[in-house]
Amino acid sequence: MLVGGCDVGSATGKAVVMKDGEIISYVIIPSTTKPEVTARTVMDEAIKKAGLSSIDDLDYIVGTGYGRLKVPFANENISEITCHARGAHWLSPTVRTVVDIGGQDCKVMSIDEKGKVLEFVMNDRCAAGTGRFFEAMARVLDCGLEGLSSLSLQGKNPSTITSQCSVFAESEVVTLINEGVELVDIVAGLHNSIAGRLNAMVRKVGLVEDIALTGGCAKNDGLAKALEEKLGVAVKKLPQDPQIAGAIGAALIAEERLNRQS
Amino acid sequence: METNLKSKAFQEFSNAAETLVNPVLQRWKDQGGKVVGYFCSTVPEEIITAAGLTPFRMRATGSTGTEESDAFYSSINCSFPRHCFNQVLTGDFKFLDGIVCVNSCDHVRRIYDNWKRFVPTDFIEMMSLPRKTGPDQVGWYTEELAMLKDKVGKHFGVEITDDRLWEAVKLHNETRRLQKKLYELRKQEKPPITGAETLAVMVAGTAMPKEQYNEKLRELLDELSGTEGPGGHRARLLIVGGILDDPAYIKVIEDQGGLVVTDSTCFGSRLMWVEVDENASDPISALAQYYLTDRPSCPRMYGEHDNRAQYVIDMCREFNCDGVIGERLIFCDSWLVEHYMLGQDLKAAGIPMLKLDREYLTSGIGQLRTRVQAFLETMGR
Repeated sequence: MLVGGCDVGSATGKAVVMKDGEIISYVIIPSTTKPEVTARTVMDEAIKKAGLSSIDDLDYIVGTGYGRLKVPFANENISEITCHARGAHWLSPTVRTVVDIGGQDCKVMSIDEKGKVLEFVMNDRCAAGTGRFFEAMARVLDCGLEGLSSLSLQGKNPSTITSQCSVFAESEVVTLINEGVELVDIVAGLHNSIAGRLNAMVRKVGLVEDIALTGGCAKNDGLAKALEEKLGVAVKKLPQDPQIAGAIGAALIAEERLNRQS
Repeated sequence: METNLKSKAFQEFSNAAETLVNPVLQRWKDQGGKVVGYFCSTVPEEIITAAGLTPFRMRATGSTGTEESDAFYSSINCSFPRHCFNQVLTGDFKFLDGIVCVNSCDHVRRIYDNWKRFVPTDFIEMMSLPRKTGPDQVGWYTEELAMLKDKVGKHFGVEITDDRLWEAVKLHNETRRLQKKLYELRKQEKPPITGAETLAVMVAGTAMPKEQYNEKLRELLDELSGTEGPGGHRARLLIVGGILDDPAYIKVIEDQGGLVVTDSTCFGSRLMWVEVDENASDPISALAQYYLTDRPSCPRMYGEHDNRAQYVIDMCREFNCDGVIGERLIFCDSWLVEHYMLGQDLKAAGIPMLKLDREYLTSGIGQLRTRVQAFLETMGR
């Protein structure tokens, strides 16, 4: 049984191909301005990587993510909230709280022992605490996205940054730079500020362990550490790239649909 | 609005909800009739009707921006007064012959301050609405309404007698009964009218002389009675919140497969679920009693949370709802804490709730869709 999950996000497109419940390939590409093109490109690459010849080899495909309505070859679309929960649960069955930090949204889901969403909260329309925020900060600090994480871990006296709006936070950062504050402390401060916001969202659904991070920003260890400090509990590390959790969830739901049909 | 309803009456309601001045209201004006705008559903329309005027509930339908009004407000003011006052400044409300304001919330109250100071208007009144709903407050509100009655009567040159008031009460109660009948149809497994369509009917009711409105609503009820809608929805929903006058917002929810079958909003069931007591001793105190105490309240009123939550739970049971969507305008002080508390109450009653913040003009549809779709999925639908 071959199934696909295609997660078209605001920043990246992710595709996963699964065979009999195992991942046989996955691909992540930057999103284009046309979600249909992103979906087609990333799925084709995943199919090629899996050694398959065409999209027709897949028995069922679920689309998810911001562009989920624009995945022309999907049999069905499911919200990324449901998909991330399923994906995180499959990767680590003890997870009960999922924090998904994507390109332009962050979401917190509480899930049950089967990976079903019990409750969720989602950020407002602004980019606070999302990939876009970190991209903007990496630009103003001239350190690259990867640099942010390692710099953050070196901060000894994190600065206090009160703005969570990317635009205002940028002005605060510029002020701190001009005051001569150590770069590592500014970056650590930024991570603390976002972790504080995520903590507040976690409190809204209620913190139940284990807690895991998914989405592109989950790769930021500095953020994970800052969040652990705010939450007072350890964040569970997922055994697979957390950025593809949504696509995995979509593929799992595809598999479930096929099982139900047969 | 996109609709499957073929009804001519509905088409008129739908058009009325999409604009400020509908053709029926325009005809009324052309024939020399006067129109008085009012903010907030706690202003008794009956007093305006009894003076031979048409009451018009203030909205900001058709607003495209807040460039004119932003100077008068701040970025932490609710988007409703900003859009509404923008339209005041651009002259969209010139068709009004008077305004009645109320201290419903501080954001709306400031429309009065700005309007009075900056926009010449013949008749603009501010009423004082109590915060609590006990007998003392009903006494206070009775006095407020008596004063409003006198001021309206004096300005428009009409003696608003008790007979005229009772006549208005009966007319408005008839509207309530008809609207309630429309809601009754939504209890069906396949309701013949959607939530978005119903909201258009309700909004139209605040923008037409009641006689004509009632007539058209009777026509719509005749057409819909005994019919069924397409069905096939994934869940039945109740929507609870404050000023929601945009059917397009509900349509986004319904396009995800969640049919809104009832509500607790101030353009919805709270306007009409209960009637004014026609057998009370005098009409003004009957109105005060109704608007302050008898009717399902909004979170602006203190000490009433449990009753409000119970109303939502009862409505859910009555209309067989699977879940509740709470909507709130960003920066709305009245609804600040309400949704959190209501969420707890609903959880205890086994009813899932999705909380949504929104701007007055429907925007951010992508995120709204995601939230609603995910909510339906959590219900296993």
